[in-house]
Amino acid sequence: MESKRNTSSFRDPSGYVFIEDNKVKRIINPIYFEQYKALTDSGFYKTLFDKKYLIPHQEVSKTDSKISIEASKILFVNYPYEWSFLQYKHAALLTLKIQKLCLENNFTLKDASAFNITFHEGKPIFIDTLSFDFYQENNPWLAYKQFIMHFLGPLILTKYFGQDHLKTLSQNLEGISLQKLSQLLPFKSYFNPTILTNIHLLAKYDKKYESDKKTVNNNLSKASQIKLLDGLYDFISNLSVNEKTEWDHYYNQINYDEAAYQFKKEVVKDWFLSIKGESLIDIGGNDGTFSREVKDVAKLIIVADVDPNAVEQNYKQALKNKEKMILPIVADVLNPSANYGFNNEERFSFIDRVKDSNLDGCLALAVIHHITLSGNIPFSLSAQFFSKMAPNLLIEFPTRGDSWVQFLLDSKREFKNHFDFYNEENFEKEYSVYFEIINKQKIASFERILYSLKRR
Amino acid sequence: MIPLYFDPGTGALIVQFLAAAVAGFLLFYRTLLHKIKSIFGIKGKEEDDFMDETDSKEKQE
Repeated sequence: MESKRNTSSFRDPSGYVFIEDNKVKRIINPIYFEQYKALTDSGFYKTLFDKKYLIPHQEVSKTDSKISIEASKILFVNYPYEWSFLQYKHAALLTLKIQKLCLENNFTLKDASAFNITFHEGKPIFIDTLSFDFYQENNPWLAYKQFIMHFLGPLILTKYFGQDHLKTLSQNLEGISLQKLSQLLPFKSYFNPTILTNIHLLAKYDKKYESDKKTVNNNLSKASQIKLLDGLYDFISNLSVNEKTEWDHYYNQINYDEAAYQFKKEVVKDWFLSIKGESLIDIGGNDGTFSREVKDVAKLIIVADVDPNAVEQNYKQALKNKEKMILPIVADVLNPSANYGFNNEERFSFIDRVKDSNLDGCLALAVIHHITLSGNIPFSLSAQFFSKMAPNLLIEFPTRGDSWVQFLLDSKREFKNHFDFYNEENFEKEYSVYFEIINKQKIASFERILYSLKRR
Repeated sequence: MIPLYFDPGTGALIVQFLAAAVAGFLLFYRTLLHKIKSIFGIKGKEEDDFMDETDSKEKQE
């Protein structure tokens, strides 16, 4: 029996997560027994499961010194810095919904880390089973500051300065500092009463009482705390970001006629059926147009794209159509999320998590020319990257005759000759090191080839 | 109560009272505006709840 403690789980003394026989388990320490019993006996855990707010668990064993529970497994845990704006918003709103529900049931969230939420089966879900504590009458919300540092801060920065700020937590695992946040925001933000109180005033008070560790209780009635939560909910629901990205122009530039488009869809479907797969990662998958072709047979489709607007569009569509299998994430192939945190073992890299998910297939349509010609990545290195994704790869290769390829080559100006290697022969030669070519199909009347490859 | 693994911040606990008061005022104002609008038959845009809960909007006062 193999058992390994999860290296992300060390902050909270209430318990910790470990992986045993490919199952996700959690040890609960005696310090949390009382809470755990109350949450279970009152039916509050069950309420949270039924509402799909919290990842479900079952008790596995119980002794005087520890309780062991097993949680439903999440195939691909994703992090705040991989979400689009709307996903980030929904993660924040879910946290507020949970806190409100907690108060109504005389519990409270003792922390509000954005890492407590991940996207699973089409929606955000809370994954820290031990974050709940008893509510003490008239006590303020202990996790309020953390909520602002993890959620409101990055969202507000994104509103004012664009979607790069959705990645704030990759550099600040404990959230953005309140002082910095307040300083960064424009003067006009002082005229918004919600930002004024929840950020500027909060930062000021936080600084003022920095060295004062007195206990504060009895200063906020439950009704007032609910108003605070409702106010934040309302404000966050109405937040928007107005930033045009490459994606917004994409469909005007797209290099396809209808027949070629349909052909490509057919090939994707046939390929996925031929590998008898259940899970897929679509690299550069845009808004998921092509990977949706296999949604009836797949359990999980991770659609990764660098463009946050494309990812948001995909997420909206998945929500609307209730496509539980589709997981849209923001990922940059040229700079995928790294291993962050203590010992580099707290938040896992994109590649490590993909490997752990043991996906069946990888789709890479209309992406290799960008990787090679915009990113200057040699074929040998991109082949190595794709070989880490899944054992089967369907990759589209636009040849030199393709207008996009020509455009990218022309952008290289004097450096253009350096890319003479960009052709079918070299592509096949380098990819053959990692893959066996199973099938090769030309898209009719088009300068593009679809390769079905199998990892060696 | 479980001891916290992070400092909740004394200032952050104090300021919640003020933030809640302002939120209360804003919510009151919004509800009032909503009522006035509905008298004139103007309806606000209805958005689907992302957790598929129909009652979440009503719950908020």
